[in-house]
Amino acid sequence: MKVFIVPPNSLILFDLVERFGHEPLSTMQLIQEMVDNLEIDSPPLNVTPDDVKRGLKYAGIEVPSGIRGRLAVWSELFEQADATIIMEDAPYAFGCVGCHRTNLILNYLLRQRGMPLLELRYPLDDEEAMTMVLQVKGFLGGLK
Amino acid sequence: MIKIAELSCGTEYSGVQGEIEAAASTVGGKMVYPDIEAEDIDNAVEEFGFNPVSPQLRLMIARAIHLVEGHYDADAVFISSCFRCAEGALVRNEIRRYIQLHSRIPVVTYSFTERTKASQLLTRMEALVTIVERKELLARERQVGLTAGIDSGSATTKCVVMRDNEIIGKFWTPTGAVIDTAEYVFNEACKEAGIKTSQLEAVGVTGYGRFTIGKKMNAKLIQEELTVNSKGAVWLADRQKGDATIIDIGGMDNKAITVHDGIPDNFTMGGICAGASGRFLEIVSKRLKVDITELGQLADRGDYRKVKMNSYCSVFGIQDLVTTLAEGKTMEDVAAAACHSVAEQVYEQQLQEIDVRQPVIQVGGTSLISGMVTAIKDVLGYEPIVPPHSQYIGAVGGALLSSGFLEG
Amino acid sequence: MIERETRLLVISPTSDITPDQLTRFLHAMDLPITIKETCYGAMVEGDPDTIHRVVDGARALDHNKIFSKRRGYPIGDTRRCRAHHGSRPGFTQLEAEWHDLGRIELGLDCCDRGESVPEPTVDHRVPINRLREIIKEVTE
Repeated sequence: MKVFIVPPNSLILFDLVERFGHEPLSTMQLIQEMVDNLEIDSPPLNVTPDDVKRGLKYAGIEVPSGIRGRLAVWSELFEQADATIIMEDAPYAFGCVGCHRTNLILNYLLRQRGMPLLELRYPLDDEEAMTMVLQVKGFLGGLK
Repeated sequence: MIKIAELSCGTEYSGVQGEIEAAASTVGGKMVYPDIEAEDIDNAVEEFGFNPVSPQLRLMIARAIHLVEGHYDADAVFISSCFRCAEGALVRNEIRRYIQLHSRIPVVTYSFTERTKASQLLTRMEALVTIVERKELLARERQVGLTAGIDSGSATTKCVVMRDNEIIGKFWTPTGAVIDTAEYVFNEACKEAGIKTSQLEAVGVTGYGRFTIGKKMNAKLIQEELTVNSKGAVWLADRQKGDATIIDIGGMDNKAITVHDGIPDNFTMGGICAGASGRFLEIVSKRLKVDITELGQLADRGDYRKVKMNSYCSVFGIQDLVTTLAEGKTMEDVAAAACHSVAEQVYEQQLQEIDVRQPVIQVGGTSLISGMVTAIKDVLGYEPIVPPHSQYIGAVGGALLSSGFLEG
Repeated sequence: MIERETRLLVISPTSDITPDQLTRFLHAMDLPITIKETCYGAMVEGDPDTIHRVVDGARALDHNKIFSKRRGYPIGDTRRCRAHHGSRPGFTQLEAEWHDLGRIELGLDCCDRGESVPEPTVDHRVPINRLREIIKEVTE
């Protein structure tokens, strides 16, 4: 099944979802589509003002452009997701997940969609990490 | 190649990163991103003392500290975040202040929307690069030889002819076709100076039309208006040494520039709202059916406090003024309120972004409107200097700096 | 256009494998892919099916100590190249996650042993009444 991950660029979540037999939906695949599209030239990500406008579906015009742009890009993924794993409090979330306000609205939108959802906190020690991995395995194993 | 360090949040997902890079490369700059170790970020944020929630803003802070401490080599800094993001605006401004306080690296800041285009960023980038590349030229304090400067502004085009550090001819007219207008003011200024255009040893051009005119007139100096206007302003006000702040409210946009020894070290530019420009006063003059040259004296006799304005907007704000007139308030009060409205908006939008240093030199077309000078004085709490020929700063700067190419 | 997939192969800090060893292993698989050694492991690029075989092979090289995620940009793309601009923000994220891979390995080992999710731990926050008592104890 297709599993949307938050942070959408996380190495750990991408790896775990794939390792446990599902297809992770990540920012990277979208970026690939955008950078391989040679007809658009808005480097480095090829996000265009039109993409940002598409973000108006999720947030109003008074919301900063960076938030609308991120939502527009991610919506292509979460619209096709069968399940979601959200990991909150990731200690370092940069680049596409660098805006805390976007993450707030993204998580809210995901919770509204009613699909199977696993919410985790970033582990603070070995014990929590072990629990986290077991939770992910359990959640993904239950997706049929 | 000038290395411009980019400290930013949201540029890529707003689709403007390409515009930033295009603007930088047009003026011979290159955007670079100071490398930083992930584990240094927490320490940097703690050291800085501002702890934003958004990780990208934390990264911006760490990068700023990295630059200031000299771990990364860059010639200039560009700090940028999304328009309307409060968290981003707070961080943007505080790291700008921090970099200026602790280093001599020129900084420019900008808040963008998805509509931001390279052309809007160009003047900022060009000024940054000029400050880095032309440090020696910008240090020039005396004009030598026989030179002219042309300032092709959005509302008016100005020309000044100078000989041996004195203005000997000047002329201005509203901007029409860019080249025709420039040639016209150029010829008229030369006529007033009593010289033939062929006698001129150098020409310097600035303002919106600088590239077109500069090429056509074979100008020795084609330079953006931030650095050129600064030189012109400190020369005219005879404040070439030390700190000063230049408030330049023109026909379409406005600038607030802080200078040290005549070289800009920070500036903000308006340009997205007519309510903070001479255009607002022009519209008011038309509605009051007075000539723009009379508006200032009218305003000096009025009291802005008697007029309630709910908006700085050139549509809604002016509607307020008209309503006030209908209520029986005087033309004088309305004129004063209009000037005060422009001054207040410049104060709120531009002057908050720089550290205003005394003396303040008020220039640009609107400095000829006495009510506007009074309004700026009211808002600042002290009197600005309005030098003679204050609308000619760009042209004077062009004549002065272009003479730098004549020696050696 | 030939479909490509670009992958990061990231070696956990707990592993004894070096990026050089990983790269040599990948070359030895003798598959039609591009391989680039990096400070954290390697990048590989090729058609998706082959790349999935390569990722499985790499993961098996050092059990639970080699991780992978996709990369949007092709190998060597100047738009993303560190040498051209300095690192992009995503690199810092990768660096941070790399740091904690040892912990994820512990979790994967738990999965291998067939362990189940432990009971959720209780909320550690001090109940307000207890806090009141503590304040009293400390201040008296």
